[in-house]
Amino acid sequence: MSRRILVAPVAGTGGSDRLAAERVLRESADGVGVIVEIGRERPRPASLLAPEEAKSLEASLAQSMPGVVAKARGRLVYASVRDEDELAEEISRICDLADRQPVAVIASGDSYRGLLELGWDQVLISSDRSREAESEVQTDPLTELIAEEAGHFATDVEIVDQTAGQGRLLSRLASRRGQATPLVLGGVFLLVLGAMAVVAISGAVTGKAKAQRTADLAAMSAVGSMKDDLPRLLAPPRLPNGLPNPAHMPKPVYLNRARLAAIQVAVINGADPLAVTVRFPDSHSYAPVRARVSIATSVRTGSSGGGHRAPPNWAEARISFPISMGGVPAMASGGGYAGPLADRQGQGMRPDVAAAFDLMAVAAGAAGVTLTINSAFRSDAEQAVLFAANPDPTWVAPPGQSLHRCATELDLGPDSAYGWLAANAGRFGFVQRYSWEAWHYGFVAGPAPCSDAGNSVGIGGADRSAALSRSVPPFTPGWVRPLVLRAAMKWNVSAALLAAQLFAESSFDPNAGNGIAFGIAAFTPAAAAEYGLEDPFDPAAAIMAQAHLMSDLLKQFGSPALALAAYNAGPGAVGSCNCIPDYPETQAYVAKILAMLGGMGAISPLGMEIELVK
Amino acid sequence: MGRADEHSGQATVEAVAGIATLLLAALLCFQLLATGYTATIADGAAAAGAVALVRGEPVEPAVLEALPGWARDRVSVSRVGMMVKVRLRPPSPFSSLSDRLTVSAEAGGKPG
Repeated sequence: MSRRILVAPVAGTGGSDRLAAERVLRESADGVGVIVEIGRERPRPASLLAPEEAKSLEASLAQSMPGVVAKARGRLVYASVRDEDELAEEISRICDLADRQPVAVIASGDSYRGLLELGWDQVLISSDRSREAESEVQTDPLTELIAEEAGHFATDVEIVDQTAGQGRLLSRLASRRGQATPLVLGGVFLLVLGAMAVVAISGAVTGKAKAQRTADLAAMSAVGSMKDDLPRLLAPPRLPNGLPNPAHMPKPVYLNRARLAAIQVAVINGADPLAVTVRFPDSHSYAPVRARVSIATSVRTGSSGGGHRAPPNWAEARISFPISMGGVPAMASGGGYAGPLADRQGQGMRPDVAAAFDLMAVAAGAAGVTLTINSAFRSDAEQAVLFAANPDPTWVAPPGQSLHRCATELDLGPDSAYGWLAANAGRFGFVQRYSWEAWHYGFVAGPAPCSDAGNSVGIGGADRSAALSRSVPPFTPGWVRPLVLRAAMKWNVSAALLAAQLFAESSFDPNAGNGIAFGIAAFTPAAAAEYGLEDPFDPAAAIMAQAHLMSDLLKQFGSPALALAAYNAGPGAVGSCNCIPDYPETQAYVAKILAMLGGMGAISPLGMEIELVK
Repeated sequence: MGRADEHSGQATVEAVAGIATLLLAALLCFQLLATGYTATIADGAAAAGAVALVRGEPVEPAVLEALPGWARDRVSVSRVGMMVKVRLRPPSPFSSLSDRLTVSAEAGGKPG
């Protein structure tokens, strides 16, 4: 026979059903069979996950006892007795059917006495009327009275304090197996809280990154403005007739436009214009090419609106110059021309063509037009590749028939320059070869293309000397010009490049010296000895050695930018990374010279790029 | 007394409902995180587009390059003056929800 336990709540006490379930599950191993739960009128719903034993008892009760509503919930079967008058009989029958399966009988229990008289192994009195005071438990009189009464009908009477432990929610939850709901709710809460925390953190990180990106974009926009304006900055301030050159842009205007571009971009990206500071680290140079933008941010610390300064976001950008320009060989081969090649914007051409192009580029720059060379000398093998890709003789001549093999033809750009070229190229010895090719210009002021005379033009001559003379930059002092021209002709190096380099090294001062490098071309004693320069303060000898050294470096590195970097920092530093070393002095040196050459045709402004330094 | 306390030991209907609630919560979290992540990468893509604008390069390829593969057919790029605007639909089990949660990001630069 199973034990019979009565759970009796004192009026106003809830939780008798919880107490019944807890006790029956805890003591089921000891053979607890029936608990009568008083005070619940509605039957409990069945659960889907009840074990087979419980479901079997539920079915048996439903079949054999019409007056009882049985529902299996988990391991317990709840049986609601509808007819209170038959309660004693019904409980006895339920006990017989239940055997050792835990059952909780639910009855409204209007009268304790009636229930008590049924006889019980144990009576549990559920009460919340006891209060702990200084570790002594006090029980209210009503509970005491009921307990005393129950003692007449049961050998084991226990008063259970329902309030004990309330408030220790976590420990209570942990002590009750099967409490899925609080765990699920807690899990859901933690899950959502975690997701919101991740979103909040990533939002803060994104905000910081966005502020930095604003500084980046502002700095790059400033340098973009400088890149656009650089040809105008480098255009001569005055025309040959002495009048101001409308194409020239003074340096203050150049810098202010860059500053405005930075502020404008910072503002459209959400920055406060008053918080934006724009500086130009190389503003003292002939042609500044760097911009630094910092954007101050403040963090609010209270409702009063006060705040403190946070570290500003800052970025620095610069114009970077093309490192590789194609590696034009010193001598042409494989085409119709077999003489020396001059390098302009990474393209090879006959030296007299290069000299004429220099003059044309200077004139175009003065008119606000920047010329670019898209193609010049092409060997027959290179032409074959082009023809294979587009075998239409209207647009690409077959190998052996293109005038580009003669090193006298230039494909020029950009499209916006076509009008100026059509009107002015003839003044410099160039003609448009084909009416349907607005970009193709041939040089007709020298020896005929692919002629023996053309092959010997690189050796020198009065015509070339005159052309070279006109290509020397106007800032070159008169006494230096013949020295530069002679050295440029002997070593086939751009006269403009040599002149700009001398300006950067010594400002044409033959007596310059800083304890390391000496003379107009800033030779170190070791380099002077290597190139046979006995007196670095002799400007003629120094410029000749400079042209010799630059010729060697151009052949070694195939790029004016790298050759200049090697001249300043040494071939070892450049050769180890095949780059411009990250020395501020060297970077500024190369940038300055190439910027000076930007308007003179030696390099293509289109090859310049905007680079974010930090 | 709370409902959880009344149902001691009954990991039944509550468990089934709990699993459904958990799944729903997981879906909610996924959508929350997916939308947040989408906003982050849309912001980066807009910045990449603005950088391309400054460098004088095509904007749309730069934006697409900055996005992961799954996002490239869920994005629309527009340029108005100096601004690059990127609109990106976050991943979602429901396409209508994805449309409603579309995030947009803008960045500007001086055209090169």
